Amino acid sequence: MKRRVFAASLVGLGCSRSKLPRLNVFNWSAYVAPETVPNFEREFGVQVRYSIYESNEEMLARVFSGNSGWDVVFPTHYIVPPMREQGLLVALDALQLPNRKHLDPAFVRPGLTDYAIPYMWNATGILFNKKLQPAPESWADLWSPALRGKMTMLDDPAEVLAAALCKLGLSLNSRNPDELRAAQREALKQKPLLRAYLNSEVRDQVVAGDVMAAQLWSTTAQQAIDAAPHLGFVYPREGFPVNLDCAVILRESPRQELAHAWINYLLRPEVSARVADSMRTATANLAARPLLGPQTRNNPTLYPSTEVMARAEWFETMTPEVQRLRDRLWTEIKSA
Amino acid sequence: MKRLLPLYVIAIYAFLHVPLLILCGFSFNSSKFTVWEGFSLIWYEAMWNDGALAEATWNSLVIAIVSTVVATAVGTLGAYGLWKKNSRLLSGSMYLSLVTPEIITGIAMLATFQWAFRYLHLQLGMSTVILAHVTFSMAYVLLLVMARLRTADPALEEAALDLGATEWQAFRLVTLPMLKPGIAAAALLAFTVSFDDYVITALVAGVDSETLPMVLYAMARRGANPVVSAISTVIFVGLGMLIVVSERLQKA
Amino acid sequence: MKRLRALFLLPAWAFTLLLFLAPLGIIVAYSLQTKGVYGGVGEPWTFESYVRLFDPLYGVILLRSFAMAGAATLGCLVLAFPLALYISRSGTRKTLLLNLVMLPFWTSFLVRTYAWMFLLRDTGLINSMLLGMGVISEPLPLLYNDGAVVVGLIYGYLPFAVLPLYSNLERLDKGLLEAAADLGAKPWEAMLHVVLPLTAPGMRAAGVLVFIPSLGAYLTPDLLGGGKSMMIGNLVQNQFTSARDWPFGSALSLALMAVVMLLLWALLRRDGEEML
Repeated sequence: MKRRVFAASLVGLGCSRSKLPRLNVFNWSAYVAPETVPNFEREFGVQVRYSIYESNEEMLARVFSGNSGWDVVFPTHYIVPPMREQGLLVALDALQLPNRKHLDPAFVRPGLTDYAIPYMWNATGILFNKKLQPAPESWADLWSPALRGKMTMLDDPAEVLAAALCKLGLSLNSRNPDELRAAQREALKQKPLLRAYLNSEVRDQVVAGDVMAAQLWSTTAQQAIDAAPHLGFVYPREGFPVNLDCAVILRESPRQELAHAWINYLLRPEVSARVADSMRTATANLAARPLLGPQTRNNPTLYPSTEVMARAEWFETMTPEVQRLRDRLWTEIKSA
Repeated sequence: MKRLLPLYVIAIYAFLHVPLLILCGFSFNSSKFTVWEGFSLIWYEAMWNDGALAEATWNSLVIAIVSTVVATAVGTLGAYGLWKKNSRLLSGSMYLSLVTPEIITGIAMLATFQWAFRYLHLQLGMSTVILAHVTFSMAYVLLLVMARLRTADPALEEAALDLGATEWQAFRLVTLPMLKPGIAAAALLAFTVSFDDYVITALVAGVDSETLPMVLYAMARRGANPVVSAISTVIFVGLGMLIVVSERLQKA
Repeated sequence: MKRLRALFLLPAWAFTLLLFLAPLGIIVAYSLQTKGVYGGVGEPWTFESYVRLFDPLYGVILLRSFAMAGAATLGCLVLAFPLALYISRSGTRKTLLLNLVMLPFWTSFLVRTYAWMFLLRDTGLINSMLLGMGVISEPLPLLYNDGAVVVGLIYGYLPFAVLPLYSNLERLDKGLLEAAADLGAKPWEAMLHVVLPLTAPGMRAAGVLVFIPSLGAYLTPDLLGGGKSMMIGNLVQNQFTSARDWPFGSALSLALMAVVMLLLWALLRRDGEEML
């Protein structure tokens, strides 16, 4: 009996550490500037619990149950419709988000912005070590036996299948089972040549020289190039996917006003510009663009030219049957 | 042949200990590469200043202490109960829980919590982690104490009862003192198992319950980071000292 | 008598029922349902997940897991036997030597696995040393493959192999070896024909104690295998996260548990309580 009281009091001690209102934010790694969260905490008098993840799947797995404890998460745009259908999101209150007007209209897409606010966007390409001659230019270069054991692909079903589909000259949003299986065969051919399937974790390894070429998001790639100028980035010739990471508020959140305040804060041009500058991201906030430092504003990796963007394709949400097929193909690729 | 054996033994001990010693050694390296460039404590400083790390360590300690206390109590009492009369289902479950791969117990517990939380309006957090830790630690404690009890003489308790003691008194004044070293060893095991756990904790942790192994894992996944070496050294030395101290106490 | 005992058993029963047996029941239920679109489970109830287990596409990963666990077990047995032999003959230093074997095990498993990452990566210690000495011109890919995982498994579970072998060897009658020598056997002949057969129970116990956790390993292949060298444990985790296929993950988990229980039962049947 005494032991249990003792135990309970210890637990209580651990829990009551701060009396400030709390906000729980779950975001991609390296997606806020060092001062973004502390400034918000100071201005609004709250405490923010800020955690990071490396993949949509990691975030979804936690959030799926509907009682994960998070208030604001940042899914990529094609995950938003399914999350909405599962009843995980709340419709955003436009009145609490006056800063929405700063968004780049190109990113205000139908069916999206009632529930999600575009935050940062990026595209997928190849980060490579300039020692590689000739430099990679297309997805097909990542199937080259010369790179055996020295290259990685993203640990992301949509991205790997997209690269394979583009290599075959097909749309990366293909719903055709034959095309998808052909893509899977390509991925299986590539797997023995790969070192690993890694997301942003591979950045340090490319910088260190462990990995010579990696399928990577432009943001992470730019962070690597900053750390090691002997790296280069290229948007493949066959086409590449574009991702828009958005902020959403979970239905389970008991702090929806505060969550709206957080999103509105992120929409401030100066805040968005600071994040984009310090973390080398591409912001969806139009009003923030003029505030960007020259290095970020004209950076071809982060803001590719229109000719390059002509090759890009936005990820689309799949229907349930197609998603099921894609998921199963991914399992088979991973277990081979 | 006879002369080769000692050499072989030295080689095996080297295999067991050298990787850790190297890791600890390089945590004092001033550069982050694997070329020794001078003695430095910068990584320990970085580790000390990391707020998230401090919070995670605190969480790990709280979880380990609470779950050890509860698991030791539950396990000891359970072992005593089973000693009096065995229940094949219960002891079988204990063995089963020890051999079940952690990933499976973790996922099963997560599924259970998520199902329960549909009706209870609770969330994953420190309490779910502690409950999970008690569950797997309890099996270790119970089996260890039961092993001890098997060497005990039931006649002693019977004698106490004959002399007028109640069952509770017989347990508390006769059997329990004899079990103390076994209980202490079991508690130590429960503590180290809980403090070190990653797989189950990562699955059932919530927003506010990041533990030290979780932080360590995230950093290790992200690549070569000398701060991880510093943290590892501290953990290794800390747990090592705990073991040595407890062994000494037991002998005394 | 009975009431006190019932009271003492109550907490243990509560935890076991609610947090071990009930979860297993839920997993069984999940394994019989169908996958939801973005995770979760739903109707209809079906055996499809179990049928899929026999699909040759997954056969590779199951075979690989068994092969790697088997390699780790063999490695541990071979490495542990001479060590256990030496310790059992060390007289007063036995406890110290045993403690030295167990010491790494007592410290963090994560730390020990990371130590191997530190050694094996391209910019890790082994490669820098070899490059520095001019033995190789390019780093060897020592990490992120099956070999690295097996080394990690051996390193992690070697202590588990030493203990049962040691206790078996310690109980051997030294007189048997003397008798063999008297009858003219050379030392290695005595080892082969007398000692080894008598340590069979210890070897079986050590083998099972290493094989079972190796088969269900998750952290080691995750950190040392790089997402490529997957074992069953990783596949199960994958099903509950990125592949969003809980029913299949559950069926896989139950299949793994069945194998583990079968092995354990086979061992206990043969060697019984003395192993414990």
